[in-house]
Parts: sequence; structure tokens; C-alpha cells
Amino acid sequence: MAARPFFTSLRRQPVVVGLLVVLLLVLLPAFGLKGIQAIAAEPVPIRVLMPAPLADAVAGPVARFNASGSGVAVQVIRGPLDTETISDLAISSLLLGEAPFDLLLVDVSWLAKYVAAGWFLPLERWFGPEILAAMEPGARLGNGLGDHLWRMPLTGDTGLLYWRSDLMDRPPRDTAELVAISRDLQRRGRVRWGYLWQGRQYEGLSCVMVEMLQAFGARWWDDATATTVLDSPGAVAAASWLDALLRDGVSPKAVANFAENDALQSFAAGEAAFLRNWPYAWREIEKGEGPVTGKVGVTTMVGAPGEQGGGTLGTWGLSLIKGSPHPEEAVAVIRWLTGPVVQRQLALEQGYAPTWSRLYDDPELQRRAPLLAVQRQALQHPQLRPLTPAYAQLSDLLARQVNGMLTGQDGPGQTMATAQRQSQQVLRSVAGTPDRAPRIP
Amino acid sequence: MSTASGAGLELRQLCREVGERLLLDRLDLHVAPGECVALLGPSGCGKSTTLRLVAGLDPASGGQVLLDGEDLSERGPGERQVAMVFQSYALYPHLSVEGNLGLGLKVRGMAARERQRRIDATLDLLQLGELRHRRPAQLSGGQRQRVALARALLREPRIVLLDEPMSNLDAQLREELRPELRRLLCGREQPVMYVTHDQQEAVGMADRIALLEAGRLQQVGSPRELYTNPANRFVASFLGRPAINLLALEPGRQLGLRPEHLHLSEDGAVAARLLRREWWGHQQLLWLDSQWGTLRVLTAPETPTPREPRLSWQRQHELWFDPQSGARLAP
Amino acid sequence: MRTRTSSLLLMLPALVLLATVFLYPLLRYGWLSLQASSVLTGLLPVPNGGANWLRLLDDARFWTDAGQTLRFALCSVALELVGGLALALLLHRPLRGRGPLRALTLLPWALPTTVMALGWRWILNDPHGPINGAIRSLGGTSYGFLSTPATTWFFVVLADVWKTMPFVALLLLAGLQTIPADLEEALRLEGASRVQILRRLTLPLLLPYLSLALLFRLAQSLGVFDLIQVLSGGGPAGTTESLALYAYLNAMRFLDFGYASTVMLATFLLLVVALGGGWLLLRRGGIARATERPA
Repeated sequence: MAARPFFTSLRRQPVVVGLLVVLLLVLLPAFGLKGIQAIAAEPVPIRVLMPAPLADAVAGPVARFNASGSGVAVQVIRGPLDTETISDLAISSLLLGEAPFDLLLVDVSWLAKYVAAGWFLPLERWFGPEILAAMEPGARLGNGLGDHLWRMPLTGDTGLLYWRSDLMDRPPRDTAELVAISRDLQRRGRVRWGYLWQGRQYEGLSCVMVEMLQAFGARWWDDATATTVLDSPGAVAAASWLDALLRDGVSPKAVANFAENDALQSFAAGEAAFLRNWPYAWREIEKGEGPVTGKVGVTTMVGAPGEQGGGTLGTWGLSLIKGSPHPEEAVAVIRWLTGPVVQRQLALEQGYAPTWSRLYDDPELQRRAPLLAVQRQALQHPQLRPLTPAYAQLSDLLARQVNGMLTGQDGPGQTMATAQRQSQQVLRSVAGTPDRAPRIP
Repeated sequence: MSTASGAGLELRQLCREVGERLLLDRLDLHVAPGECVALLGPSGCGKSTTLRLVAGLDPASGGQVLLDGEDLSERGPGERQVAMVFQSYALYPHLSVEGNLGLGLKVRGMAARERQRRIDATLDLLQLGELRHRRPAQLSGGQRQRVALARALLREPRIVLLDEPMSNLDAQLREELRPELRRLLCGREQPVMYVTHDQQEAVGMADRIALLEAGRLQQVGSPRELYTNPANRFVASFLGRPAINLLALEPGRQLGLRPEHLHLSEDGAVAARLLRREWWGHQQLLWLDSQWGTLRVLTAPETPTPREPRLSWQRQHELWFDPQSGARLAP
Repeated sequence: MRTRTSSLLLMLPALVLLATVFLYPLLRYGWLSLQASSVLTGLLPVPNGGANWLRLLDDARFWTDAGQTLRFALCSVALELVGGLALALLLHRPLRGRGPLRALTLLPWALPTTVMALGWRWILNDPHGPINGAIRSLGGTSYGFLSTPATTWFFVVLADVWKTMPFVALLLLAGLQTIPADLEEALRLEGASRVQILRRLTLPLLLPYLSLALLFRLAQSLGVFDLIQVLSGGGPAGTTESLALYAYLNAMRFLDFGYASTVMLATFLLLVVALGGGWLLLRRGGIARATERPA
């Protein structure tokens, strides 16, 4: 209350105000110059939402980047650990319209949905075709949709086959050999189980199915007609092979409830000859003094005899959120975070597969990242999960049906027929007109 | 510790204290078999408290309840063979009349056949047969009261307690029901305790009246005894309508004169002036102003009343009290 | 005629309110359930000829969730009624400090569900929660309570019971207080034991309140969402997913609003059927008779 008379009287005294302004201008260079400089140089904040493990993995490089004085301050938001949870988090803030982040680390399986929702800015303005050409073939997949580039890949992980080098001289060449070696070792009592994989009703089982469909020359998704083809003879053969693994005792019945870690722990305890898992499993096996430490080899996923096997792509990459106030700076961050320096560090410290071809030729990396050769090989024949915005629903119903088969509900033929029928229903319900196949806008 | 004494219900030095409040102060009372004793008094005098102590619903703070010389104090309410009619009748609202009667027998494990026989007999006795399938909500007040009574009598109790059983009925019905209630209750073997605040009901129902005030027994005796020979001023003024006239005739002594004992006469000792006249048909009540305050006088309805009458009375009707303590003084 | 018109007029505000908060969303869901409205249609409604409903009939996840929701509702409501009744009977007895005790028991109900669920998540955390802390201090190894379907389900039910039992208890306590004390005294005088009084008198008279609690809680728990969303997220592997959560996921995770509306509406229809069935059962069980009380 006491201040008001002062201000009102001040307004009536233009001379006094003018004097004050002049005083301020005179004094500022003396005392305030440093402050003004600091304001001008305040770096542009670029916020990146990442799942916690990857956020931790890039923490070192990000700290160095921020110290380098590039005028950009990268703030990594540690999201939840679970892939689905972090996507839910991202979607809730994106639906609200103003996302509190500029960049999002995107799993390959979400991309189509986010693009269809119109939440990303295309990146081809900044990243021309020559940039992707410098990457391994598998790393190029799952970034572009329609005529646009929506994501720059940071990691090039694929599903891999782990085998016991103490039990066999060389890895199996195809699915038949995998079963034969397993049964032989089991019969001789060398190992309890043949093959461990992920059979629980979740996304991991869908990844296994992608690999099995490839192994038997079948596909989940037909890009030309933009629909599922799960009832093909090859698809039924793939399901039958998995079903037979359980029935013949090559895989334990418990596989129907295995996620990545369950399978890994059982394999690391020396209970099985083969394991399907992601690259991270290698470090877990090798870091301890377990019964199989030093006795494990890694190879690409096998196909049926005469077919080319391939691993499911589980790559992460950075996308630019539409509405970011600083797209140019954000792109600079993408360029740097997906660049060779960070990728090299991720490969060395965390075992993530790089996407840049030249990193695979780096002698030091070759020496210190023993999976590098296999990872590169896997990126030559990678398998992509269906690039459709309805992928989550399709994956859920396929995993549900296949898990039902593994727990003895239906035979492989019936299982795949049901999955195909339900997929068609989902697509019709999601896409509108019954006959028009869903297309990416 | 019970020392066997006579048959019937005997209360010895019965006390009830809740916190600092003394609800009942060393009550001694005897109810003979087949006798009906009314507990009378203003609300809060301890009459309902007494009933609940006899029933065992509340614990006594001291004293004993004896039945035929047997101490009931340690027994729970279910083991005293006491039947009680509540002021609200406490009929089970979810059960029919039959169900209300039968539930008590059922919980005590009586066989269905015997149960039905007893229910039928009681319904006949009270002429309730036609209402047997009704629920309490579908009964009139008088019918509910009879069902409550039936439920109490059905179990052939050793003591019958009634807590203001007629206070929810209108005045006419109350009068009508009194003889029937007496017929059903009295002349049986059990002692009956009847709580009421209505002296007419007490006089009509009870063989003897126990008058209580502030947790203390004031006097117990036949209605005539209490009326004609009250133990103190409270008893004298509680019983009798219109109430007794109290005159401070002498220092240290208070004279009580009932309205029917004052007469209008030419040569009476007290001068008065007529204030008001209430004509009741069989009697008339006169309100008179005198040097000792307003006086009530009951006379025959057609007695002529001078404007400035004089009042007289007979010596034998004088009741003298101590003005402070209210105690009765010798004439 | 006059009274009829005026009574209609008097009811009008209530009807308008009901229509706006209840009927309008229902009609809107009904309409949207006949459309495709997803990222694939640019979130614009496109009629899809009932494809959503055909999909629903064949949607294993929907029917699995329906079974799970029903199982959750029946188990937790049964436990809440039994526990709530016990609590109400306890609080109805004259106890020292009954007032503060009643307030204290109501505390879980006053807590927002999300806060409560977060609390349980922390308690059950593997390995940092207090339960696992206790297990480890006793020489055991921590256990992932929220990683196995059976324990997760158990704790979801427990959390729900913990939170809503006080509400049931309060409702039943209100019911107990409407029962005149002299009814119980009359039956005690007739020689009934505590159990007999409970069975023959208290429970029949409490029946209207029990049915109210049952129907109310059944409706609530069949629509359970926030507790499961926060505590388990529907996991592991969808074993604790409820229909409401599935409807939510269709909208928020799959960005498929047409099908989300279909699931929502179907859930509502199932709820109406379940509650209607429950109501009929209760009526036949004599609730109507017990609600008649003397004036």
C-alpha cells in the first residue's frame, strides 16, 4: 500500500523517470555487462524423452556435449523402463497438444502409429538419402514411411541365436539342425533343454513369431495389399514348429510363460543348448562367473532348410516432435546423438549394435565388442514388424493366439486361422470402409 | 449370599450408577407371585432403570435381584426367564405376527410342532388369529400392543415386566384395554412389574404402587394408602388430580388439603374470591384466590357459588408437611 | 391431469440433468461404436458397417478381460461385504473413543485411489519396498509381487478391499443405527445368543443396506480402472486387466476411439446385465419384504 503513492507520483514526474532511465543505461555497462552476456549465451534447451536404460547409457556423452559450448543444452528425461509405459506417457502428453519434450526416442514398433497421428516432423530436409546409405541395411528399415523420413536410428539391435560352444563345434545352420542337435544333447544327458525363447503372451512372442515366419518363408504383413497373411501354409508351418518344440520337449512347457529374462536366466544357469535373445544377453552372460560364462557363441537366427533366417529388428531412433520451438537445434542434437561418437560409446559400454557401416570396420570396436561381426551379419537380413498404425492390436492378438497354442488351447492351423480372421476384423474396424486397406497418410 | 426368603420377586438395595450419576439408589421392593406392582414416577425417576436391572439388560452397581429366593444377579438376560413388553413393543419388523411369536421359541431350540401349538394357543387367547400373517407395519397400535403382550406371555415367563405398554395408544384405547390387560396378566403365578408415568393407569392396573423420584423410592402401598396417607409432600402432590392444595398456614408447617376436602360455607375460616370455574359434568373445579394463594376446590356440579365464598374443612383431612424437607409431620 | 403435469414439470430438471450426463454420452458412444475413428482415419469418424461389434464378439482380449473383471468384482465385493460388516458391528458397539476410531477407519476411503495405489506399489516394490526389505532382513530374497499373476491379482484385490471396506462399513453402520436397540434387547431376553441375534435379527434388517452396498460396490468394481491402471497397469501379461482399462488402452494406447467406444458401451451393457441379475436375485431373496418397516 505504501508503494502506490510513490509510483503514482513518479508517473507524474517525467523528468525524474527520464533521469532514472539514463542512470540505468550508464550504470549497466559497468555492473551488468557480464549478466547480459550470460543471458545472450543461455543455451537453447532441447529435451529428449528416453527409456531409463538408454538415458543412462547416453548420460556421459550428453554431459560432454553440453560442456562443449555448442549453444544447445540437452536435457535427457528419464522415462519409465518399460517400453509400453514410456509410449503411454509420450502419447498422453502428445494428445494434450503440448509435449514437454522436443525429441522422442522411438521404438521401431511404435513409429507408424505416431506418424499417422501426425505428431512428428519429417527429417529428410536435414538428412538426405546419402546419410542412410552409410548405414547397414537393417538399420535403414523402419525409419521411413510414405515418402518421408521420420526417425534417425540410434541402435541396430536384432534378435540373435545364442549357442553353447562347449557342447557343439559350430552353430546350427537351420531349424532342423537346431532341433537335431538339441535332441541329441538331451538324449545324451548333456543338457536338460534344447532351445529357450520367449513364449509369454507379450510383445516378445510377437518378435519370435516375426523370426519364425521369416524362417519358414512366410510373412505377417503384406505391404502391397496392406493386410495380414497369417494363414499361409508357411505361417502354419512356423507355428507348428514352435508348437512341436514344446510337445517334443526340446523347449520346456514353461517357455509359454518366459519373457527375455526368464529365458536368459535359465540359459545362463546352463540348462539349455540354445537361446533366442537380444544383444544385451551377451553381456549378462559374460559379466559374471556363471556356469556357461565363456562357453557361449552368438549367431544369426536360423531359417528352415533352404530358407534365409533373420532376426527381428528392435531398433531405437530419435524423432522430432511437431511443435518443438527449436527444430534446428533439435536436429543438431539428433545429428550428434545418432552420430558415430555416441554410437561407438554405446557399442563399447552397453553392447548396442551401431547403425553406421564404418563403425563395424573400426578395429578397436571389433576388438572390444565381440558381437560386432554377428550383429552386422544380422543387419543384412533383418525382419521388420508390420509397419501399420494398428500394429499394437495385431501384435496383441497374435501373441494371445500363439500363447494359447503353446498352452494347448488350439492346434497351429486353427491358431493361425483365428489370428488371421481377428486381424482382418481389427483392420476393418480400425480403418473404416471394410474393403479399403489401411494406408499411411 | 442370597438368603432364601419368601416367594416372588425381591429387590434388595438395588443400585445403578452411570459415571457420577446415581440413577437408582438402594431400592428395596417385593412383588408377590401374581401381584402387579406399578412403578410410578416422573420421567427420570428410575422406574425404567429398575425394570432393565430386573431384566438384566443393564448391570446393577449394587444390590440383588431375587426370584423365589434365588439370586438372579449373575444371570444374563436370556437366562432369567423374564418377559418384557417394551414401550415401542419392539416387534421384529421383518417377521409376521406368527414369526414374532415363534422367534424366541426357535432360538431356544423348541421343536416346530410344539412351537406352533403354543403360538396357536396364545393367538387364540388374545384373539389375534386373523392377524397371524400380518407384519407389524400392517397392524394398528392396539394390535401391535397385543402382539407384544402375546409374545411376552407365550414363553411362560417367571417374571413379567411392562415398560409403559400403553403410552403409544390414545387415551380412549388405553382405558378400554386396561381390564383386558389385567385379565391377561394378573391372577397368574408370576410377579408383574408395570412401569408407567400415568397415575390413572397405575391405579387401574396395579395392586400396589411404588412411587419413585430421583432414583429413590418414596412410598410403596395400595393406591388408597398412598392417597390417604402419603409418606411425604411429593407423594401427596404426585397422586390425585386436581393436585393437592398446599397452604403455609403456620411458620414451620405446611398444610396439605385435597380439593375435594375443601367446602364452601357461610362461616368458613378462610375468605376467598372466585377466579374461574371448570365444569366437568360429574364435578366442578373452582379456582379461588385467597390469602394463601390460589386454591383448587372440587364440588358437586350444581353447587351454587357465591362471588365471595368462605372455605372450611375437616380436621381429619389435614396433611401436615415440613416446608423444607417435605416430610410428613404429625397433626 | 393437473398433478400429472406438475409432477412432470417438477421432474424436468432432473430428467434434463440425467439426459445430459448419462444419456448423451451413451448415445455418443453408441454412434461412435458404429464408426472407425482412429489414427488411420485421421481420427475422423468413418462408418464401418458394424465392424467394431463383429470384432468385439471375436476379441479374445475383451472376453478374457470381462472374465477377469467379473472375478475381481465378485471376489473383492464379497470380501468387502464380509469385512465391512465385521467392522460395522465392531464400530457399532459402545467403545471408548468410538468417534475418533470411526474417523480413523474411514481414512483409506478418503485417500484418492491413485495415491493409495502408488502407496501399494511402493510397499510391494522389488527390491526397495518395505515388504521386500523385511524379507531380506529375515534372510530371504526379494520377491517380485507385481511380476507374477497370482500375487499381483491378490494385491489388487487386497488394495481394493482395503480402500473400500470402510465405505461398506460406514454404510452398514448407518444401517445398524436404524435398528432400534430394543429389538436386540427383546431377542436377548428371549435367550438368543449373539450369533443368533446377528443371523435372525440384525442381518435380515440390514438386508436393504447390504444390497445397496452390494449393488453399489458391484457397479463400481465392474468399472474398476484407476486402481489397476496405477497398481499393475493390467499386468503381468494382461492378467489383471479390466474392461475399463482395455477401453482406455484402445483410446490412449491404440488411438482407436471407435473401438474404445464399442468396448465402453459393451462394458456398460454387461454391467447393466450383471446388476439387473443381482437385483432380481436380491428381490427374490426377500429384500422387498425386509424394506417394509413400520412407520
